[in-house]
Amino acid sequence: MKVLIVEDEKSLAYEMEAFLKKSFYLCDIAHSFKNGLEQLELNKYDFILIDLSLPDGDGLEILKKAKQSNPDAAYIIITARTQLKDRVSGLDLGADDYLAKPFYLLELQSRMQAIARRKFSITEELLAIGEFHIDLPKRVVTFGQEKIELSRKEFDLLSYLILHKNRVLTRAQLSEHIWGTFVNDDYDSNYIDAHIKNIRKKLNVWANTEWLETVRGVGYRIKK
Amino acid sequence: MKLSTKLTLFITGSKLVIVLLFVLALPFLVKQIASEYTNYTLKQQRKQVLSIVGKNGLDYYFQGDQNYGSYTMLKEEFIALLPVDKGVSMNFIKDSQRLIESDTLNYRVLSYTFKNKGKNYLLEIGKTTTSINQYNKPLQRFALYVLIFLIVLTILIDLTFIRMLIRPLEKIISSKLINRRFPFKDGQKRIQTSTADFKYLDESLILLMNQINEAFYKEREFTSNASHELMTPISILQNKMENLLADETLDEKSAMAIIEMMKTVDRLKNITKSLLLISRIENEQYIRKEEVKPLLLFNEIIEEISHRLEEKHIQIFLDISPEVILKGVNKDLLFQLFFNLIHNAIKFNRHNGKIFITEKHLSNNAYEITIRDTGIGIPKQDLPFVFDRFMKTNLEGDVGYGLGLAIVKSIAIYHQIQISIQSEIGEGTTFKIVFPES
Repeated sequence: MKVLIVEDEKSLAYEMEAFLKKSFYLCDIAHSFKNGLEQLELNKYDFILIDLSLPDGDGLEILKKAKQSNPDAAYIIITARTQLKDRVSGLDLGADDYLAKPFYLLELQSRMQAIARRKFSITEELLAIGEFHIDLPKRVVTFGQEKIELSRKEFDLLSYLILHKNRVLTRAQLSEHIWGTFVNDDYDSNYIDAHIKNIRKKLNVWANTEWLETVRGVGYRIKK
Repeated sequence: MKLSTKLTLFITGSKLVIVLLFVLALPFLVKQIASEYTNYTLKQQRKQVLSIVGKNGLDYYFQGDQNYGSYTMLKEEFIALLPVDKGVSMNFIKDSQRLIESDTLNYRVLSYTFKNKGKNYLLEIGKTTTSINQYNKPLQRFALYVLIFLIVLTILIDLTFIRMLIRPLEKIISSKLINRRFPFKDGQKRIQTSTADFKYLDESLILLMNQINEAFYKEREFTSNASHELMTPISILQNKMENLLADETLDEKSAMAIIEMMKTVDRLKNITKSLLLISRIENEQYIRKEEVKPLLLFNEIIEEISHRLEEKHIQIFLDISPEVILKGVNKDLLFQLFFNLIHNAIKFNRHNGKIFITEKHLSNNAYEITIRDTGIGIPKQDLPFVFDRFMKTNLEGDVGYGLGLAIVKSIAIYHQIQISIQSEIGEGTTFKIVFPES
């Protein structure tokens, strides 16, 4: 899939590109408003990531223009401006999602996956792991016919790990995903561990969960 | 005491003192006036007598007698003429007794010597002292009535005038000093007054309020700008580390080091996020239109935080009725407020401690929620500062960045919630949250 990153902060754009490349996205970078418009004229993209505060123009203008040249693309607005007003106008103009800086690249990627599933009808909504099945839209985990009761946060954690299987996710990445924009200065807390412990406890009743690994000092990984 | 009350009391008091003094002095004054007036009449009469005598001649009165005397039947007045030795000279008025027809009476007597055809004569004109003083009582009474009337009149005039005079001051107080909410509204109206002092006071207040507002806005703007500016470099740091960590060839030692760095960046991110949150609340960027049931809110928070409760074996007692609904609030902000308080109640609690969440309906339609813990407590000298940003307690180790309660405070102010804290070292801490009316 082709991605255009409109971001004036060069090293940030580079990191985004480096991360997305690993998941086989093809990335173009535009460092300015003008550059962004040029790229949009020249190419077709599946994803367009737009930083709102560009030195030579308003990112929302790019969004408006890009909607005409690339009507089928998915748009994610990226900004340090987390004001409600911007958020509303961005979504009004047809952005698919909104990410506030700073964010984890993993979070960006999973938002993109979610949009892809929705927008490009990629249906991998029924995920299987071990002997368990996870239905993302219905938010249920089943073992055979048995439904397993997970709390909201536990389900979020488990599905996030599965969507990024074979990759180590740090506690901070996981907690950013489940807490979102909620401010919690509890950075040293072990609540991710506590949730994982609960998930294991609930699943172990039915089958073993060796696929959910603890990576010492770093975080967790689902191996498949 | 209010200025108007003070002035009213002073004016009434001072007028009463004047009345009292006047009433005490009145008999003496009236007597004085009567006496002066009598002296004046006596002198007038002397003038008349002398002119008549000059016209008619003394013999006309003497008619061969040695002297002349005339008085009325009631003996209230008398006039006497008699020749005296050449050397005698008199011209005075004094009180003395006279014997008239075997009655000894007190008179005010004018004695005057004058010369007529080479002889010396004494003229005496007298008035009984009782007749002098006969008007004293009615005069006093009349003067008193007039005085009381005048005093009442002036008090009324004074009070009306004072009320008019002070009205601008009362307006200044009611519009600028009472019930003011911070930040102050822009474009404060000037009070209409012709009193220079009040004008000066009013303008100084407006100036001060504007200065405070400006400083406040600047601080807000700074916090907002600074935190926004910090977001981009933090993003870069965080994403670089994330990419580094994803490198398959990374050895465990380096991975651990990156994780540690990421934790630090995370901490930085949280501080910045907290500051941004506070500045966004202060900039009123949240909508206060939702309805929230506190019971549901607490249940949600307790679910979120249950692992922490289990970890420390803390029991939480929730006594909130399901009917209560808080209106005109922002649910996310209230969640954050109570989350931070409960989070603190856990953080500063001891193992096997307790947390009590209770409610109370106050008399003025207000609603109070109390969160009490059995934790380590806060030293008395720290209590006034716990809501300040970056407040550090003296506690070892397990301490946040001191922004949690600052967030609580700004959310409370934004919702006009009153929040107060009580704490006892070793006993625990109690937060009282009062919602104006719901």
